[in-house]
Amino acid sequence: MKLKHSLFTRRQFLNGLLGGWLGALAASLLYPVFRFIFPPAREPDQVILPFADFEAMEPNTVKNFAWGSKPGLIKRNDNGSFTAFVAVCTHLDCNVTYLPEQRKFFCACHDGWYDEDGIQIAGPPPRPLRRLNLSVEGADLVIKREGIE
Amino acid sequence: MSEEGKKRGFISWLDERSGLSAVFRFMREKTVPQHRHSIWYYTGSAILLFFAIQVITGFMLVFYYNPTLEEANSSVARIMTEIPLGWIIRSVHSWSASFMIAVVFIHMLSIWITKAYRKPRELTWMSGVFLLGISLAFGFTGYLLPWDDLSLSATKVGTDIPRSIPGVGVWVTRLLRGGDDVTGDTLTRFFGFHVSILPLFLLAVLAVHVYLIQKQGMSLPLAVERKAEKVKELPFWPNFLYREMVVWLILVGLLFSVAVFFPPSLEKAADLMAPAPEGIRPEWYFLFLFQTLKIFPAKILFINGDTLAVLLILLGVAALFCLPLIDNKPEERKGKVITVIAYLFIVYAVAMTVWSLL
Repeated sequence: MKLKHSLFTRRQFLNGLLGGWLGALAASLLYPVFRFIFPPAREPDQVILPFADFEAMEPNTVKNFAWGSKPGLIKRNDNGSFTAFVAVCTHLDCNVTYLPEQRKFFCACHDGWYDEDGIQIAGPPPRPLRRLNLSVEGADLVIKREGIE
Repeated sequence: MSEEGKKRGFISWLDERSGLSAVFRFMREKTVPQHRHSIWYYTGSAILLFFAIQVITGFMLVFYYNPTLEEANSSVARIMTEIPLGWIIRSVHSWSASFMIAVVFIHMLSIWITKAYRKPRELTWMSGVFLLGISLAFGFTGYLLPWDDLSLSATKVGTDIPRSIPGVGVWVTRLLRGGDDVTGDTLTRFFGFHVSILPLFLLAVLAVHVYLIQKQGMSLPLAVERKAEKVKELPFWPNFLYREMVVWLILVGLLFSVAVFFPPSLEKAADLMAPAPEGIRPEWYFLFLFQTLKIFPAKILFINGDTLAVLLILLGVAALFCLPLIDNKPEERKGKVITVIAYLFIVYAVAMTVWSLL
């Protein structure tokens, strides 16, 4: 049955209403499932390390630290400054290593190379290595995600 | 009542309640055609054989395996060194997986080349492509479980690949890893996929696949069908089944020989913070895809090379799934071209695999 100026028949309206309710019910059941299977991000906002461990580093050497569940590398530059990298290849996520004699970062998975500033120079990596902000605050070396104050 | 009468009594009791005799009648009447290409009919049951071995050895391994960051590697080491005959159970599980995937590929290619997927068997093929995907997922998730250096890096690469799909990719990676990185959560999740989610999916799709095969009977190759004369048929029960059993015996002999003489290794436990070791590679059946990804440059025009490679691979999978619909005129030129593509695929896969091993 359809009223004169109505767009729907009564049956269409009721089916739509019922279908909408069922859809909303399904969504309300699926939403928690969806939320549950994706755990919260683990990446830290900052990591604080004792500066004393890094003060004596020779130029052109690196030291490891844990950036959440990823490896990080702190590199001492020739001018004595420090740079912090996330030591994860930007190609497919393998951990990279620093080869001081060649002054390059190297990823063994697909033969990816970065120069000493973390800029990709050979192989498949599409982007430079991710850098982290690094500052010395008193006796602490504070490493922050870029963009965090 | 005599012994015989009692037995018949029980069977008819069971039959009245279950209708089981219809199944036996079907088995007795089922026939398998005999022709030049009959050998490919044996591949299906060979897959089932290896799958059954996977289930049994998998049940055994799960008694001792421990899917945690701290214990995974050492529990596999314990299986290999302390548990009586543990090394051979793990070896059979690992080799049987390889054998199964190998026969799955042979099965698929034989159906592609003989065009057994043509009408009305399109759905059988499509369910088969699902089974192929699930089998590969079994292999991929199982590879991580020993949690050594090589398997960790291979998993990092493998789970990062979906990320280059625009839009949904990053969520697929997070779903697989249980977060943004491969961690202990990934291991636990992969264990869950490997021992509970994938087996349930596989059994459900397998039931559909086997049902469809029984419903439609064995397919005849085009060349045989074209000939007017009647094809010789072999009763399934017991003639064909006996022949299959001979094949199974040979395959089991081969599997156990390889498993005894070449048990899989176990490297030292994976370290999430250590640089990737050199020479990482996935299981052999992923090598051609691995090599394909490797040869794509970082940028092609303005597109990320990996994104392009992954999208091409996805397109290939979609085409494989729809193959019976694409190949709708098997007798004509198009059908012949599609057969040639099957051979080209074999050449490509073998060449890329060999290249990646060099």
